[in-house]
Amino acid sequence: MSIYLDNSATTRPCDAAVQAMLHAMQEDFYNPSALYAPAMGPEKMMKKCRDVILQSVHAPQGSRVVFLSGGTEADNLAILGQQKKCRDKRILYSAGEHPAVKEACQAVEGAQAVAVPYTREGVVDLQALEELMDESVALICIMQVNNETGAIQPLQEIGEMKMRRCPQAHFHVDGVQGYLRVPFDMKACHADSYALSGHKIHAPKGVGALVMGPAMQVRARQVGGGQENMIRSGTENTVGIAGLLAAIEAFPKAHDMQQVKMHLWQGLQALIPGARVNGPAPDSVLAAPHILNVSLPPVRSETMLHALEGKKIYVGIGSACSSHKQKVSAVLKAMHVDQPLAESALRFSFCPDNTIEEMNTVLEAVKGQHALLSRFQRR
Amino acid sequence: MRQLLMVRYGEIYLKGLNRPYFMKALVKRVREATKEYKATVWLHDARIFVSDMTDTDACMERVRKVFGVHSVCPAIEMEKDDFDAICVEAEKMMRSVNGTFKVEARRSDKRYFMDSPMINRKIGEYVLERNEDHLSVDVHKPEHILSVEIRDKAYLYCQVYMAVGGMPVGTGGKAALLLSGGIDSPVAGYMIAKRGVQLISVHYHSFPYTSEQAKEKVLDLGRILSQYCCGMKTYVVPFTEIQMEIHEKCPEDYTTLIMRRYMMRIAEKIAEKEGALALITGESIGQVASQTMEALQTTNEVVKMPVFRPLIGFDKVDIIEYAKKIGTYETSSLPYEDCCTVFTPKHPATKPKMQKILEGEEKLDQEALIEKAVNDAEIILL
Repeated sequence: MSIYLDNSATTRPCDAAVQAMLHAMQEDFYNPSALYAPAMGPEKMMKKCRDVILQSVHAPQGSRVVFLSGGTEADNLAILGQQKKCRDKRILYSAGEHPAVKEACQAVEGAQAVAVPYTREGVVDLQALEELMDESVALICIMQVNNETGAIQPLQEIGEMKMRRCPQAHFHVDGVQGYLRVPFDMKACHADSYALSGHKIHAPKGVGALVMGPAMQVRARQVGGGQENMIRSGTENTVGIAGLLAAIEAFPKAHDMQQVKMHLWQGLQALIPGARVNGPAPDSVLAAPHILNVSLPPVRSETMLHALEGKKIYVGIGSACSSHKQKVSAVLKAMHVDQPLAESALRFSFCPDNTIEEMNTVLEAVKGQHALLSRFQRR
Repeated sequence: MRQLLMVRYGEIYLKGLNRPYFMKALVKRVREATKEYKATVWLHDARIFVSDMTDTDACMERVRKVFGVHSVCPAIEMEKDDFDAICVEAEKMMRSVNGTFKVEARRSDKRYFMDSPMINRKIGEYVLERNEDHLSVDVHKPEHILSVEIRDKAYLYCQVYMAVGGMPVGTGGKAALLLSGGIDSPVAGYMIAKRGVQLISVHYHSFPYTSEQAKEKVLDLGRILSQYCCGMKTYVVPFTEIQMEIHEKCPEDYTTLIMRRYMMRIAEKIAEKEGALALITGESIGQVASQTMEALQTTNEVVKMPVFRPLIGFDKVDIIEYAKKIGTYETSSLPYEDCCTVFTPKHPATKPKMQKILEGEEKLDQEALIEKAVNDAEIILL
């Protein structure tokens, strides 16, 4: 049996999602834009999914949900769809944002994109952010949970700060790594938009959504049949949306991820005295329950990853999208993590199905492999 | 009348009494290469013909990669007695061609009722009369040549696509290529295979320091090579244990050389097992520390077999050009993490002393390590 601990890269679709997708393919396959009665099925399902999403993020009255292909498209639409608003203005984004946000901010024409530094814990430096906030800011992009370290960003403080310093600015939250695993209140955070992705919460790949606050206006990034209120042309991915709805409804309200994470962390500390957490202390309120980023020097991340792979234990070394770029993680760099520690960082990310027993197996494997591999260092 | 490919061979022409042996091998290779297109292949009158394939263009591209083939011409085959019909087809073929042309007839059937100059004139005249607005005749330096071959049937073609040349694989024996994921070794393998040598390849895999993806990249390179060399048996040898032993027991500046010596020994063992007579490496003088002349001498001396190093005098830029030409460059350049640098000395010996190498190697159980590596190798047919 394999142990999958790379749930921040993607998750296994849950049974409910698979069943819902099967139903959407075999029974409710109709085009929701069609005029005959059976097409009401997918239409109703989409409506329900929108409501469930709006409720789950405590969206203010009048908010809308646009279904998209995933987190990247949702972030892109939120940022590049507001180019006009940003002209000759500044865009603030945190130094640890996912490339889907960072690259989009930098691609906005006529705007100045400014990265807000991270603290050593991997959260936005609030003082630096406050100093940057003024009437020239049109857009602020901060993620809910950092994808590499699991650091929960202080969105409520940021939202309140925004209301004081630059209420005219749009506040976009990339919720891809936080949605359902960490509570989020759009109203309390004064957020104007929120991006989420299906495949991080046991729905399939290829589906995501952007929650748009009541005042938000975006320019469509593709033209065609005018679906999704003219914002996202193209026949709706009803199969993916059915999976998304089922996965949201099936996601457990209570789970043991925090205990599982702490068990692993305490075990690693006991085994490897040099082990260091990258990000907030695992037991702090700023640490998400489902991500543990830990450096196990002197063994390099990739070597340990493959050594564990040899034992059928699958972990990550940062953002899965960038693992072929052969660079030290930009997030760890932004946190000023020392090079040897950054080069030996592993990301364990959990789902509600992971167990303490699995962690014991992982600890056993890490113990053996770390003892073996740390004997071999470049002299 | 039907369309077919006329396959022409190059260096085999120079063979004397052995020529039938080489021809038979070449026909076999063309037949294997075109099997997936369900083509019929036959040898007739010093030409290889390929017909009835499911996809003419793809089939031709495949034939152009068969070592021993000089060039390929998409041709029309028709009855030779109806000369008017030949003229009509010739004219159709030249309709879409612009510029200067000439007709070049060849008669292996000397009893044909017209001689070659007459065929040239008749067909040339017929074509020109109907296409005067975009064609003119130049018999000295024409831009296009319309070839007409009168054999047991008539064959017409006006396009010649050059192929890879060389000799049919299998006519030159068998050799073992030390295949890495880099740019050089696939090129070295290609060059030797082109001389008719059947390849097997040996790849050293250092899991967990190199990944499954890195291995897959090497196998992808092997698949590209195998298109040219008619399949290639590949040994993926687990090498981590040997690297660890060397790292722990041998002098630091000699670890790469001792590792290379082990690679050569293992490759020779596998070559012997497979009936191969030589080893092939992608080494080039002075490219890296283990490829200085002194270093090459120390890695060369552990094997009895000849070691072919076809790139020995090549600059890196030339090797890159070659790799691009044969289609391996892109795959070779794919980035995949390689943590073997753990085992790489910061200052490798460039003028190694044999005494120090032997002292280091004495501490290793050579026979057991090599035997285990060979026995545990994964064998993959590419």
